[in-house]
Amino acid sequence: MLRLLARVLRGLPGYLWSGWGACASLFLLLAAWEAVAAFYDPLILPDPLGAFAALWGLVEQGSAWPALAATARRALMGLALAVSVGSLLGLAAGLSVTASVLSRPLVTVLLGTPPIAWLVLAMLWFGMSDGTPVFTVFIACFPVVFASALQGTRTLDLQLRDMARAYRLPMGMALREVYGPHVLSYLFPAWVTALGSAWKVTVMAELLASTDGVGAALAASRAQLDTAVTMGWIVAVVGCLLAVEYGFLEPLKREVERWRETPI
Amino acid sequence: MSLQLQDVHHSYALTEVIGGVSLTLPPGGVVALVGPSGCGKTTLLHLCAGLLTLQEGAMHSGFAKPALMFQQPRLLPWQTTADNIALGLRAQGVARSDARTRAQAMGQMVGLDADALAAYPHQLSGGMQSRAALARALVLQPDLLLVDEPFAALDIGLKAQLHRLLLHHQVEQGTAVLMITHDLMEAVRLADTVLVMAAAPGRIVHRHTPSGAALTRSDAMVYHDTAELLRVPVVREAFGLDALQEEERAASEPAAAVLPLPGARVPRVSLAPPADPGAAQLPTSRSRQCG
Repeated sequence: MLRLLARVLRGLPGYLWSGWGACASLFLLLAAWEAVAAFYDPLILPDPLGAFAALWGLVEQGSAWPALAATARRALMGLALAVSVGSLLGLAAGLSVTASVLSRPLVTVLLGTPPIAWLVLAMLWFGMSDGTPVFTVFIACFPVVFASALQGTRTLDLQLRDMARAYRLPMGMALREVYGPHVLSYLFPAWVTALGSAWKVTVMAELLASTDGVGAALAASRAQLDTAVTMGWIVAVVGCLLAVEYGFLEPLKREVERWRETPI
Repeated sequence: MSLQLQDVHHSYALTEVIGGVSLTLPPGGVVALVGPSGCGKTTLLHLCAGLLTLQEGAMHSGFAKPALMFQQPRLLPWQTTADNIALGLRAQGVARSDARTRAQAMGQMVGLDADALAAYPHQLSGGMQSRAALARALVLQPDLLLVDEPFAALDIGLKAQLHRLLLHHQVEQGTAVLMITHDLMEAVRLADTVLVMAAAPGRIVHRHTPSGAALTRSDAMVYHDTAELLRVPVVREAFGLDALQEEERAASEPAAAVLPLPGARVPRVSLAPPADPGAAQLPTSRSRQCG
């Protein structure tokens, strides 16, 4: 554990330094926004400073954090469900040829059904409760996670499996050190993708089916034709996603996939 | 305490790959199974290692600690070389730190330095990976080592180094070795007993006992022995080589069927690998010498 911490700290300056590239591209995006905003009326597209000011206003008012928290709660609940159920079922289906052949078209059907259609069904089933966004997130993320878990299990290296058997690895050790890392290398990117879509789908679901959360706030600002506040909310949602992605998932990915690094 | 196979048969679906193989490997012995690709060598080895279930015949192993070396290194890509070497030890319940210390000592013995031991497998060359795989097997101090032509992809220099490592360890520890290879010369160099297999179905067609202890054999002796083995008609047939011209002649005039003079010079390039069409040059040079 201590060694892990030491390694993370050693890698930190390099990681932060590599952040300059990401910052530069984000600032380019802001510059493009500023440039386009200069041509249009603030009612159509307010400039970045206006949007940030509107967001700051929401924070000071005290409405930003509760809304973000409500959205995050729903997104994470749906995501947790999709990740656990999808990973487990995908692993189980991957172990059997019949199950993987049977489930492949079903995954395509689920992936091909638009989330908005599920949302309509969820509204009919769950009404205006938390169930609606949570269910929609679950059904949108589940096939992505399921397909990756399936793929990871199907592609297990038979040569390594024989090696594990020849060296008489106990079941737990084989799972942890032979099969686990392989399946994880498939699952992890799927979890990251699922997180992104969970966040987006929650906001969409809230727009139509909730009275609180970022989506509901967006619906209100649309009704009031307040483009600056709308942009402020968008900045908040995207900012949260960026923070989770680069502050948590990317370092985690580097740690988990350290063995993929190119020769030093 | 030995490994005994009696009339072992094995089939994949309707295809019989092994049709009645019997062999005995005594403790500390080195037996090489040689044969063309697809003669069931690997199947036989996997049967001995318990990776396949015995279908027909009897197998008895008195060895307590077998270890298997595969054709490919088969290292875990997500573990360092040292951790890979320690894998078998930890599977036996040896504590992690202890296993790592022993793995590092064994790694150094097979010529892996500290940098190589701390690196991940994909950062190593093929030769280094083979060394790591060898160390992973040897660190268990097995009493039976099952080897599936692990050095086939290496150049002759590396091959010779790893052969020496293996032989030294074998002599020191008294490990019994069952190795399979398609390289006759490798078999003649390393083994006490060479068993030649033929395909469809896999069976043993010839038994050869190279002279002297493996570590004392000179290159010249190995080349000569290999050449001799390649003159045996059933061996030629097993590898799909044409019959020797002089064998045909020998059938009509028996006086010509003399064994070669001791120390007869044999062109080296024509011998390895035996399945190489280059081996067909052998009859020409022989007939020149006889004539």
